[in-house]
Amino acid sequence: MTRRLVGSLLLALAIVLTPAAGRAILYIDINAPGGKRMPVALPALVGIAGDPSLSTAIPKVIAEDLGMTALFKVLPPEGYLEKILPAHFAGNPLSFPDWKMIGAEAVVIGKVEAHGDQVTVEMRLYDSTLGNMMAGRRYTGPARSFRTIAHKFANEILYAFTGVQGIFDTEIAFTATPRGGKDKEVYIVGLDGQDARRITDNRSFNLFPRWSPDGSTLAYTSFRTGVPVLYLRNLQDSSERALVKFGNSKSPGSFTPGGDALYASVSVGGNSEIYRVRLDGSNAEKVVAGWGIQVSPSVSPDGKRIAFVSNRGGSPQVYVRDLASGADKRVSNAGGYSTSPSWSPAGDRIAFTSQAGGIFSIYVVKPDGSDQQLLASADGDCTDPSFSPDGRYVVYTFQKKSYSELRIISVDGRWGKSLFSGLSGVGSPAWSPRR
Amino acid sequence: MSKTRAWKYGAAILAVMMLFALGCAKKQEVKSTESAAAPAGQEKGAPTGGVVSEALKPESPAGGKQVAAAEAGAAVTQEKSSPFQDIRFDFDKSFVREDAKPVLSGVADYLKKNKGARILIEGHCDERGTSEYNMALGDRRAESARAYLVSLGVSASALSTVSFGKEKTLDPGHNEDAWAKNRRDHFVVK
Repeated sequence: MTRRLVGSLLLALAIVLTPAAGRAILYIDINAPGGKRMPVALPALVGIAGDPSLSTAIPKVIAEDLGMTALFKVLPPEGYLEKILPAHFAGNPLSFPDWKMIGAEAVVIGKVEAHGDQVTVEMRLYDSTLGNMMAGRRYTGPARSFRTIAHKFANEILYAFTGVQGIFDTEIAFTATPRGGKDKEVYIVGLDGQDARRITDNRSFNLFPRWSPDGSTLAYTSFRTGVPVLYLRNLQDSSERALVKFGNSKSPGSFTPGGDALYASVSVGGNSEIYRVRLDGSNAEKVVAGWGIQVSPSVSPDGKRIAFVSNRGGSPQVYVRDLASGADKRVSNAGGYSTSPSWSPAGDRIAFTSQAGGIFSIYVVKPDGSDQQLLASADGDCTDPSFSPDGRYVVYTFQKKSYSELRIISVDGRWGKSLFSGLSGVGSPAWSPRR
Repeated sequence: MSKTRAWKYGAAILAVMMLFALGCAKKQEVKSTESAAAPAGQEKGAPTGGVVSEALKPESPAGGKQVAAAEAGAAVTQEKSSPFQDIRFDFDKSFVREDAKPVLSGVADYLKKNKGARILIEGHCDERGTSEYNMALGDRRAESARAYLVSLGVSASALSTVSFGKEKTLDPGHNEDAWAKNRRDHFVVK
């Protein structure tokens, strides 16, 4: 699959009427604990030609995205008093008292117009007290990319209220078994959990997808030649090349923050150690050596440390290596078997999975090993955590016997959902960077 | 606030927001997914969270080569028959157990009698624990048997190893019995 940037678009119309004296602009402190949710109305879009289902499908995606933040309360459409019309995009103001009456502090309206298989979507966010437009955007793209358009405007809404860049248009790579198959293939899905698209198609085991920092490339391991090979796959043009020409098993961990090298686990002679492999193939340097198993490197956002798994103490635990000094510190303290570290892009936490009392749960801990907290546990195994690019959410695998699904939880525990369960053998999720 | 001040305030806010709007406009574009027409049999309405679409773009330009590649790939997922029993391992361990030694002696005898024979030692794990760690553990199990066979006098060139981690379990069950069967080395005559 290729992912092409659509050339035409984006007229940003953030025209603001002069704010009335004495009234502050609507604002939410994204880090304030608890607190009242901002009530927002999300009426159906005005549809002009094209698929009528987009009029409700787009607000639905936006509502789900806003729901992730636990900052907004989307008011039910049954209570809306005013119908949105094309005139509202041609100079006619909304009847803001009608929206204030039902408690909506803000209203999101939109218009979707189809031209063949392209759509133009104009979205506006209004403050219903001041009557000013807080954000406005016009998007053009293929009709089937309507979810991406909805995700991008949800980012705009979040930014307008909080000043914080959203992650709603990011995606999650994962592996799963196609229906009726025995193989593992790599898929990518958006935060709406719909339309997962398949990336590999070779009927073998394709494992451990990991994103480059610019989101252009996936590293992964494939058994399609019969033995494990680590590939770099360009998602734009689907071209691939192999990296790491030595060793038996090899799996990608994380790219360096500059994107010039990849930390990978490679087994040589039965010994798995961690290497930093330059993407130009010029060098592979052993970074974490040891007898036994060293796997799953996850780099800190400043590139100076890596979290990894080692069984040097007798069972697998999570350690942090300071790359300059070579000093290691064990940071997992939750159970007898801890693996799969993911270093938050915000830098402040490492997530991992640990088995205690017979089941695996997700924990987070500070990089110095302090303040370990249980993040997610269930009546099955919770494994393979991966942080969102803003460090506020973790995607992970939930598995119980033959059933598996991807789940997302916010780091403060206030929100969570099932993301994807449409295939079996779902696992190894990796959250994309912002692109 | 006086009228002049209100206008100055408003103009300043307008200027800031226009700057922001223009700045964002430059860096944002809708990205779109390119695909050929969706196949007729596209799955829809999966129980929860999932329409799945299949990529039609082939992995290699020549169709025949692609079919052969898919067959080679699929072969990896199939359990290969073996004239030898699997040897089993303790949980999270890779040492050769006593009950494995008779099997390994049999493998060594076979290789000594058939000088040109080659054996691939596959290392496997049960379903518990995480995939990457298990991939490495499977390598250790394969290597452990390889080293033992070499110690019995088998030529190193007759042996190769591969790990499938927990991807290719023999028994799909979720109990101790199944797990014990899946913690294994499997010997394939090449």
